[in-house]
Amino acid sequence: MEISRRRLLGLAGAGAAATIAGVLSGCSSTLPEPNVAAADFGSRARGTVTVWTRSATQTGMQGIVDRFHKAQSDIRIQLTPVLDAQYVTKLATAIRGGEVPDLVDMDDINSSLFIYRDTFTELTDLVNDLPYRDKLSPGHLALASLGDRVFGVPFLADNSLLWLNTELFDKAGVDPDEATQSIESLREALPRLTSAKDGIYAWSFPGNGQGALGFTFLPHIWAQKADVFHGKIGSQTGYVTENEPLRQTLEFFRDMWTQKCAPPSCFSDAATHWGSDFLAGKIAIFPGNYAAVVSAAPKSMLPKLKPVVIPGPGGGRCFFDGGDNLCMPRGAKNPSAAWEFAKFTLEIAQQQSMPTGGYTPIRSDANTASFQKQYPLDTTPLQNLDLGYAPQSLAYNVAINQADGPFLAMFRRAVFDGDVDGALETAQTGFDRLLKEVQA
Amino acid sequence: MTAVSTRSERAVSPSGPAPGIQPRRRLRDSLTHPRGTGIVLVLPAVIFVTVFVLVPLVVAVYISLTDFPLIGSYRFIGLTNYISALTDPAFGHALLYTLIYTAIVTLPILVLGYVLAVLVRRRRRGSTLLRTLLFIPYVVGLTTLSFFLVLEAQPGSGAVNIVLRALGITDGQTAWLVSGPLATGLICTLVVWAVSGLTMVLLMSGMQGIPSDVYESAAMDGATWWQAERRITIPMLRRTIILSLIISVIGSFLAFNQFFILTAGGPGTATTTAVLHIYNKAFVQLQLGAASAESILLIIVTGLITAVQFWLLRERDSGKGALR
Amino acid sequence: MTAITVSGRRESGTKIALYSAGFVLSVIVFMVPLLFALFRAFQPAAVIQNPPSTSTFFHLGWMNFAHLGSQAHLGESIVNSAIVAVATAVLTALLATLAGYGFAKFRFRISNWLFGLIVVTMMVPFQAILTPLYLQLNSMHLTNSLLGLVLFYTTVNLPFGVFVMRNAFESVPAELEDSGFVDGAGTTRMLVSVLRPLILPGVATTALYAFLASWTEFLGALTFLTNAKLYTLPLALVNVQQGAYGQVDFGLLAAGAVVAMIPCIVLYAALQRFYVAGLASGAVKG
Repeated sequence: MEISRRRLLGLAGAGAAATIAGVLSGCSSTLPEPNVAAADFGSRARGTVTVWTRSATQTGMQGIVDRFHKAQSDIRIQLTPVLDAQYVTKLATAIRGGEVPDLVDMDDINSSLFIYRDTFTELTDLVNDLPYRDKLSPGHLALASLGDRVFGVPFLADNSLLWLNTELFDKAGVDPDEATQSIESLREALPRLTSAKDGIYAWSFPGNGQGALGFTFLPHIWAQKADVFHGKIGSQTGYVTENEPLRQTLEFFRDMWTQKCAPPSCFSDAATHWGSDFLAGKIAIFPGNYAAVVSAAPKSMLPKLKPVVIPGPGGGRCFFDGGDNLCMPRGAKNPSAAWEFAKFTLEIAQQQSMPTGGYTPIRSDANTASFQKQYPLDTTPLQNLDLGYAPQSLAYNVAINQADGPFLAMFRRAVFDGDVDGALETAQTGFDRLLKEVQA
Repeated sequence: MTAVSTRSERAVSPSGPAPGIQPRRRLRDSLTHPRGTGIVLVLPAVIFVTVFVLVPLVVAVYISLTDFPLIGSYRFIGLTNYISALTDPAFGHALLYTLIYTAIVTLPILVLGYVLAVLVRRRRRGSTLLRTLLFIPYVVGLTTLSFFLVLEAQPGSGAVNIVLRALGITDGQTAWLVSGPLATGLICTLVVWAVSGLTMVLLMSGMQGIPSDVYESAAMDGATWWQAERRITIPMLRRTIILSLIISVIGSFLAFNQFFILTAGGPGTATTTAVLHIYNKAFVQLQLGAASAESILLIIVTGLITAVQFWLLRERDSGKGALR
Repeated sequence: MTAITVSGRRESGTKIALYSAGFVLSVIVFMVPLLFALFRAFQPAAVIQNPPSTSTFFHLGWMNFAHLGSQAHLGESIVNSAIVAVATAVLTALLATLAGYGFAKFRFRISNWLFGLIVVTMMVPFQAILTPLYLQLNSMHLTNSLLGLVLFYTTVNLPFGVFVMRNAFESVPAELEDSGFVDGAGTTRMLVSVLRPLILPGVATTALYAFLASWTEFLGALTFLTNAKLYTLPLALVNVQQGAYGQVDFGLLAAGAVVAMIPCIVLYAALQRFYVAGLASGAVKG
């Protein structure tokens, strides 16, 4: 059997061309959208529903799934936990490949990326028909919408707040409410709250953990409505060098660092043990979330905790409306049952179980008297739901949540190197470039 | 080595080639090693490699000519990605860093491997045990070793810092993984430590293939140990040294795992190697067209470097160091 | 093994001293870090992440390993890794042996060309072809499956394996094959009975190398596996290391890394007789 070289090449070429065509064509068309206007959509559904969940939130989700299975027997949920860092890529590739789950529980900050590219099912009417529609977290909903059109529902909230150690405040003779009014009042209070000889510091931040840092730093500037992403999603530019609140907040942190009001470990802290210094009683003010603080707190610490919403320069308050949204990709095989499950997760009973996983409910009417009694420390966001915000941008992941992104570089240069101007300039270029690339 | 009887012989047309026509050399099919069987034997491997490497590679080339964004539609944009890759400072920085990293580790790996090979090549008491032990870091692999190093590079609690503090060199609080130069130094140390075992084994095998009488006659001529090494061992190890170098350089050039685990390319992009940069572009920024173009460029550069190595180390006819 | 020892002469005292010093020094440098890593895995997580104190040597126990087992995904991941690594080793060795035999002993026109093709793919960083490969495997329904992973790993390890096996076969003297033919052996019997002792080092090398490579690989697993139940060990460890906002259990990481380390060492020690010889024949005569 002789195969000439030429013939082999010819065969190879043909085979390659065929494969390329097959691989790429099968996955460029948009998937069909489920018909959500159908008469009994979302009721009396049956079958299996495939749900992807973030590995960070899988325990919470698993609990809800178990309850759902107990409550009825027509629908079974098949849960697939996906690594956080890979979630966006995996979902994108799944959509490309045409094999999507019915429901995705995803980081709300990433949902806009998919909505903008028209890969999720529109649920506007279904959501507006919900009786508790106006109680849902506006921040989450904004991230699940494009204009007036809604493409997902909030699922759980993971909010950033300033957590105070009231004992340390008492010792230093500082009034917690006054001190946390604004950046300016904080600036005054920090040196008083620091006692180097006792190893007590006023503040702690993860100087090398961009995810946690963005989560807690950005609300300062959002309190003054000065987001780094300027404009509507899809046509944004960076708002950095002219961003006065940003400059003031960076300077605040810079002074905090030079005055040694934060422990030296902040320099390399990548939030691997986020909150451990605060829970050891060494930090007066800790920007963090419920999971890092309350869920991990030793019993003795609990009475000393006081959460406040994060203040901005010159006043204003904001907290990061983090957490998860539930969305239904186009091409979902069992959309009706998926919606039924989604509604189940939004019910008060399920929402009130959120604190056990370290999260917060996303509807304000979950803040009942019994809830307040059981989880007194989880009520602040619910009482101030309108102060929650998270930016809707295609570039949040690449610009803020990456170790090599412009946000972390800007923070480190301004705070640790002291070069605020240079930091802002470089970041402006970085943000603009990324936005341009991602919005192309 | 090659026996005579059953090998196939070139069939030559008895009347000689017709004028003006290139004679087609026809191989008479061997009875014992039929061509067909040969092809069938190699076919599975060829199919695997074609289906799982070559085809995706061709697809990657195609994607590199588009702006494939992973979500959404894509357009054919020709060579735009290549031009942006060549003018992208981040990609250039990653390539430069990779080159520097390769330059730093290659020679120490070779030298350390050589020294270890000298140590274990003779049949002395415990030399086999020693050889086994020295190779274990390579066997464990850079990925697992990187996980260990994550723990030991921590300021205050990591072994690296504890030892340095005990020796009085530092205060034990160095955050190795947060500084570009420090992290690079640490990773280079790890890589040299782990990979020298492989070089050791390769060189040792080569050394053991050199017949002993060569050394005996050198000794009788009064050559010292170092002279013997320089004039006999090294030249005769030429091919093995070249092989070690090429494996080492290609490996360093395509380094990814240890950087991903230890620093994720940080701080910023200070320790981002070429492959890590491409990975970020594809899987974080979701720009597959650009990432594919950069990958193709990287493959070309790797090929060039290998070719240059071959050329630089080619056999030279002037017998410098050859045996008399 | 040809010793270079000058025959008849005993080694000088200095040489022995140098050797002993080198022996001790290199053992310390190469073994101590690994032994320490082993020790680390027995420390409680709280101790690992704090500077050394009086409690460093106390409270040692198997808790990290127990924790590994109880975390469902980590226990499963070890099994998954084992399945994938063994399957890859076997498949790679099989295909490489067949191909090596074909390339070494059989003459057909495109032989060199095909061999070059296979070897050249060693220079292709698989990160470059990862996404097209994902799309392709997806259309073949091989993503999110251990089988797909095995096929991928096998392919990645084939070039080296074919290289080694071809060299191994080329060293086989023709007389051995001839006598086999005379006895009426077909290809299969030739490989399995006649040539086996000579090619075993090469086979062991290929299998071991493939095992080691797939046991510690994580990027391919990360890309091709979505279902956490299928995760392999290095992938699970990367997960542990990166955490949510980064709550990392160092004890778990240490124990997991030790579990990743031990089989490599054990397997290597068992096969190293073949491995070194195989590597040598592959490299030196290559």
